[in-house]
Amino acid sequence: MMVKNAYEEFLRLTGFEEEEMAEYLPEWRKASEKLGLTEEDMRFAVQERLPDHFALELEGIRKLLGCFVKETIDLTKAGEYKQRGTKIVYGILPAVLHFYYALKLTAPERIFVSFPDIFITFVMNSFFHKLAPYLEEAEKTGIPYGCRHCALNKTRYAIRRLGIIPSPDINWIWGFVCDEGPKTDEFIQLYHDPEWKTYVTRLPHDQPLGTVEDEVIERVEYLAAQMKDGFESVQKEIGIKVSEEKIKEVIDIWQKYAAKVSELGRLMSADPQPLGAVSGRFFWEGLFTPFNTGIESMDKALDITIKEVRQRVSNKEGILPQGAPKLLIYSMHPSVPWIAKMFEENGVGIPLSEFFVLTKKQLRPPSFEDPYMAAAEGWLRTSGMVNPGYQAEQICEKMTTHKVDGMVFGLMDFDRWLGSSHRLLARMVEEKTQLPVFYIEGDNWDDRDYSPEALRTRIESICEIMKMRKA
Amino acid sequence: MDILEELAEIVRTRPEQLKEQKDNGIKIVGYVGRFVPEELISASGALPYLLCRGGEPEPPDAVIPYMLRFMSPYSRSQIGYHLLGIDPVVPMLDLIVVQCSDCHESRLADLFEYFKLPTVRLGVPQDWRKSISRDYYYKGLVRLKQMLEGLSGNDISEEKLKESRGSLDKVRGLLSKISLLRKAQPPSIGGDDFIRLNHATFYCDPEVLIRKLNVLYEELQRRKSVFSGDAPRILLAGHVVGVGDYVVPKLIEDSGGVIAVEFLDEGIRHCAQNAKTDGDPMGSLAETYYLRMTPPSIFQPAWEKRIEYIKRLINDYRIDGVIWYELSFEEIYDLECSVISKVMSQMNIPFLKLESSYEYSREAIGPLTTRVESFIESLKQRRN
Repeated sequence: MMVKNAYEEFLRLTGFEEEEMAEYLPEWRKASEKLGLTEEDMRFAVQERLPDHFALELEGIRKLLGCFVKETIDLTKAGEYKQRGTKIVYGILPAVLHFYYALKLTAPERIFVSFPDIFITFVMNSFFHKLAPYLEEAEKTGIPYGCRHCALNKTRYAIRRLGIIPSPDINWIWGFVCDEGPKTDEFIQLYHDPEWKTYVTRLPHDQPLGTVEDEVIERVEYLAAQMKDGFESVQKEIGIKVSEEKIKEVIDIWQKYAAKVSELGRLMSADPQPLGAVSGRFFWEGLFTPFNTGIESMDKALDITIKEVRQRVSNKEGILPQGAPKLLIYSMHPSVPWIAKMFEENGVGIPLSEFFVLTKKQLRPPSFEDPYMAAAEGWLRTSGMVNPGYQAEQICEKMTTHKVDGMVFGLMDFDRWLGSSHRLLARMVEEKTQLPVFYIEGDNWDDRDYSPEALRTRIESICEIMKMRKA
Repeated sequence: MDILEELAEIVRTRPEQLKEQKDNGIKIVGYVGRFVPEELISASGALPYLLCRGGEPEPPDAVIPYMLRFMSPYSRSQIGYHLLGIDPVVPMLDLIVVQCSDCHESRLADLFEYFKLPTVRLGVPQDWRKSISRDYYYKGLVRLKQMLEGLSGNDISEEKLKESRGSLDKVRGLLSKISLLRKAQPPSIGGDDFIRLNHATFYCDPEVLIRKLNVLYEELQRRKSVFSGDAPRILLAGHVVGVGDYVVPKLIEDSGGVIAVEFLDEGIRHCAQNAKTDGDPMGSLAETYYLRMTPPSIFQPAWEKRIEYIKRLINDYRIDGVIWYELSFEEIYDLECSVISKVMSQMNIPFLKLESSYEYSREAIGPLTTRVESFIESLKQRRN
């Protein structure tokens, strides 16, 4: 396909309307230049990356991608916001986004919130396969390659070094399931940017295997106190007071969005699988990552997608034949989209990522009125955030709910919290379900070491086993 | 027999002694990490046993079927020997207390529990400057105390705790005095021996130990140094030198350097932090362990304070060069290394980073030796 204006075509494929072009095309060009994206990169995205991996025929999916593009454009303007006096607050995954959103909703014009590494990593790798320059920048300036540090942390550091983002007024960093995330902030501050100010909120992982952590009141209270302490410190730092009603309002928005995402998840589990795993996966980011541009566009895109996918389900239209084996995968990241595609090309679906699928308990309203207790309880209901014993129980429930034939762990080598327990989880889940459970060594953010060639044999073998079992 | 050899012999035969004690009804409590107060275990009448082995590649490898490959070989070692069936102590432990201050330790605790070993976790919040974090650690200690009392059937009275702390303070005090002897050039004891001595103190009866350390201190004051007068003085820094992981310290001193002082988070007694004795004994124990020691690398914020401490050591011990001993995939120490390396460069202090996965085969030792020898040689040339 010959593309006359690759930038314009890119925006078109990512759901921008013709009437939006005049506003967004110059902005996207400017943002691209700042990010180090060339016209050639744009052509690659338009001609290969996007059509190969995303269901661009669906309006909802195009709009979804557009939300990430808009957010990235906005992020590249963070320096301008700061110059105008807007307060900048950054965070990292995973975090309860309610507090960040509550800040934004309280003072929309005076606050900029972002988890910058997420948007840059997703957009640069998912759309352009061009995260490597950022990773290399970090690796040659203090975060060595050999230790398998997380690509998100490297990216956060690199984009600050390269001047893509400014120092924030405050980073509110959660180290609930990550040691390296918060310590990266200490690193950035001491090694590169003395203005990089951070408030850290942490939680020891010291619960016996199988503890239902959301029912341990003392633990919920401690976590709630940590959240409250952090949020009050952030408000004090930026001089903006958020009411508890605003947090409750956000919780309400989140619950509604979560219910819709769960509906999409339910549709994705249909047989035949109606949509490739990569296409809709970005919707789940809305549960964990605040959008400075707002959740409304994501919400609209989700509505459209649900309608479109429901139609496919009703037509028995699928990307795989009816009866194809399907696996639950711990987490499929669009930043390395070929993994899901490789499964699908080999006749096995991985429609849902365990990390993002909600259990029945997670969809229940919180037991507490107090917004901090509610947020803490919600956090401790989340499988990835708790001890592997409780996590295994939740995974088994999800496998039953979505009627999968097995499970794939791994691809989280960089993550010494979430990834470190996978081999143990694989054993626990297999023991409980008696279903096949697999482990793939790899990296969901960064495929420099684990190329398609390197993983092909493993993935093809898994698919063969699954097809033989189902035959 | 040389005191160091005597102590080494006691360490070697410790498992047999523990077995005897266990047969006599004494409880044996293993523990991982410096935030588990040894005096609390002793005060309950149980025998403490520090799990701190390292230095061999097979034990960490034995854990790979159950844990991510890119985890600390030190943490993996603490259960790896057991999985290989070559740990005489772990199977007889009545309780294993694992401090949970980072992901490596927490995952280790998970594995102990998965393998049906009697495990209890002691949560150590990393955000140490908050009062809620301090309370959390304190409450954890109180729970641990109750658990030890239940296990041993003995009350941990104030008196017993005080007595137990008194013994350990004497040990720490003596080690501190011995360490200070290393301010002399050449010192009468090097870092390789001092680290082994430290290790031995975790596996000896305190009364025996205090006698022997007193004798050793007297001897060292008279002893002629085995190091040359121009031996470059090294600060060995990093996470831990495990029991048995002596290749690098020995190599440094065999190459003509002398380890004048260490800056390690684990596997070494923090001599400068004798327990506070006033007020609520559990409260002062918590304060001593949580607040009064130099913060470990995982605490936040920590590195600025740690850098200040390193600078003080460099000055006090007239250090010629710093060797950073890092274990593979310890991501926090890896980040800290970059920060410290930058500061050392600004101070014009030579800095060498050594990374180990406990792979000390002949093929691995060759390049390691070359690097250490070159570093020591360069320090000598700088001196000249």
